Amino acid sequence: MEHMGIEPGRLQFSWVSSAESTKFVEVVKEVTEAIKALGPNEHFLKTKAKVA
Amino acid sequence: MKIIKIDKKNWASGLEDLAGSYRLFGPAKEEEFHNFKALDQGVLPDLTCLNTRLSPKSLIYPQSEVMFEYSLDESQEDHHIMKEVDKDYSPRAVIGIRPCDVKAFLLVRKNFDSPEYRDPYWIRAYEATTFVGLACEAPCNTCFCTTAGCGPYHEEGLDLLLMDAGDNFLVKVITDKGEKLLADAGWDTEVNTDEAAKQIEAKKQAAEAKISSFVTADRLKEMDTVELYSAPFWEEVAFACINCGTCTYVCPTCWCFDIQDENRGRSGMRMRNWDSCMYPLFTLHGSGHNPRDTKIQRVRQRFMHKLKYYVEKYDNGIQCVGCGRCVRLCPVNIDIRRVCYMMNSYGTSDNTCAA
Amino acid sequence: MLSYIDKIRETSARLLKDCSVEMVIGFRKGTVPMMNEPHFAKTAEAVDKLVWDSNCGINLANYLTNRQEKIGIIAKGCDSRNIVTHIIENKIKREQLIIIGVPCSGMIDKRKINAMLDGEINDVVEDENNITVKGNDFEKILNKRDVLQQNCAVCIHRNPVIYDELVADLVEEQEGVDRYADVRSIEAMSSEEKWKYFDDLLSNCIRCYACRNACPLCYCPTCFVDESRPQWVGKSQDPTDVRTFHFLRAYHCAGRCTDCGACERACPVGINMRVFTKKLEKDCLELFGWEAGMSADVRPPLDTYKPGDPDDFIK
Repeated sequence: MEHMGIEPGRLQFSWVSSAESTKFVEVVKEVTEAIKALGPNEHFLKTKAKVA
Repeated sequence: MKIIKIDKKNWASGLEDLAGSYRLFGPAKEEEFHNFKALDQGVLPDLTCLNTRLSPKSLIYPQSEVMFEYSLDESQEDHHIMKEVDKDYSPRAVIGIRPCDVKAFLLVRKNFDSPEYRDPYWIRAYEATTFVGLACEAPCNTCFCTTAGCGPYHEEGLDLLLMDAGDNFLVKVITDKGEKLLADAGWDTEVNTDEAAKQIEAKKQAAEAKISSFVTADRLKEMDTVELYSAPFWEEVAFACINCGTCTYVCPTCWCFDIQDENRGRSGMRMRNWDSCMYPLFTLHGSGHNPRDTKIQRVRQRFMHKLKYYVEKYDNGIQCVGCGRCVRLCPVNIDIRRVCYMMNSYGTSDNTCAA
Repeated sequence: MLSYIDKIRETSARLLKDCSVEMVIGFRKGTVPMMNEPHFAKTAEAVDKLVWDSNCGINLANYLTNRQEKIGIIAKGCDSRNIVTHIIENKIKREQLIIIGVPCSGMIDKRKINAMLDGEINDVVEDENNITVKGNDFEKILNKRDVLQQNCAVCIHRNPVIYDELVADLVEEQEGVDRYADVRSIEAMSSEEKWKYFDDLLSNCIRCYACRNACPLCYCPTCFVDESRPQWVGKSQDPTDVRTFHFLRAYHCAGRCTDCGACERACPVGINMRVFTKKLEKDCLELFGWEAGMSADVRPPLDTYKPGDPDDFIK
């Protein structure tokens, strides 16, 4: 995804076991903060087809 | 017949005058090849172009075209109504289109403008357009127009035919639409018609003599459809085909489309996109059944439609103008000239082609 | 490579005559310069149409998918690697095939040659090292090495990796080739630059799907772009949809692409979509030490799990 021009950090992977509730909360917090810091996504959005 | 001479010195200024009353389109080079583009202010059509990579059919019939749109937003006056989209059908002129590509519009018209059905989008765009053709002096070695119902100086479908005559262009006036365009551009130097006609005839013959490629289609109309359909050569013809849509998308006479709805939130649109008989999805029924499920059926359909069904249905020759684009661009070199030969000679002893 | 033709015909005729195969898949001479057409011979007499030269860039593995008969197939290096991939993915059985291996010296790039010359090309003749191009008012001799398809110029597997017959001695493999200069230059761009680069790259795409269909890896009964329930991607010329098609197509080739160049070669508008697949190919090599289609006995990295697989991207 980064190779196609999506900013680093917008896509994140995590391994969270069903027993790791604390980690889950942390991950969600971190990811939300990171994405908010990046601001709204400008690319790969289609609200209305740009055609003739 | 009226023939006008345009001094090349007045070419750019005339086009500039035209830009006031027409939207201008013409061949423009982008890196590797030419395509028809809207000409920005002051940009001249590149008349050195032999043939554009894609056909100009998209000028009248865009690859993706919005037909209707709607909104459920009640603050808008016409909410909840599927309404036609406003489009710019103001006069436009295509400068430097080749005679084969213009003839193609006439073949396509049989489909979009028939007594039963009239396609409003195609017709409005077509009628808004003035076609200023450019005669071919140096046809490509894949051009077979002269045996496909037109030729390098063919006039059918054109409003004006432009010919390069050194420092000047000679312009043959074909329709009133063409006459009007000349007036708008201020090109009005009439020449002695007899003399010019002789000159044009000589150039025409020289250009036609340069066409080195041909198709033979004389037997197609009389042939038995079922026999042709069941001919064994389709396996060989279809073998190499990868079922991409290149031939149909670059073809000036292929007209098939698919209608799609795209909705998002509380608004949406209905559009049509080019489709291709090469794709399995083209004929897939809602039931899941597909009458043209295999590659051989789809390849046969393309050639049978162009070279047999069309010929029979409209009695208007083959559905091909010999521009050679599919021959040049097919990734696996399936050659319509070879296929036409095989079809036309089917059942005779002479059934191997050297094309 | 012209000298291969006799051997190809002789081998094909022998295999057909002794009924080892029902058909031989190869090429016949094209109708326009620098093009050949994939073709089959079913009888020993029909092999005379088979040819070989520097215009056989189509990947013939594409013609094997789900076939049931016994087949002889002419295979250069990349074709053979895609045959291996087909065998791994159960698209053809090894026992069905007699692979007639062709040591390859690269295919020529029609587009490059056209761009180098002003007029139209009427005829192209080749010998071992040179390509003679003839037009109405020119004749030019080009060094074949200068006009190779880009993927052939950086190819390091010119010899077939799997074969039953061989039409000539193996050729020397290219060494010290920098395969990924183009990918590195994209990697070095900022996100914005990358976005713009791909926008420009794809601006001419007409969605004819020639790239997809020329690829031996694309054999799904219904491709995701054609799927309508659910519809994954819009069908119009909207740039987001065009890009989605290209990126997803490339992803589906991850760990499978052999960089045979069929996609780029097939494109009617000259898009180099190999820059997508090459990134994935480079990643597979760097992360898993994997090159696709080298052996039918090793499972590809994306359908196996090993404890040592790189997982730095997982937080």
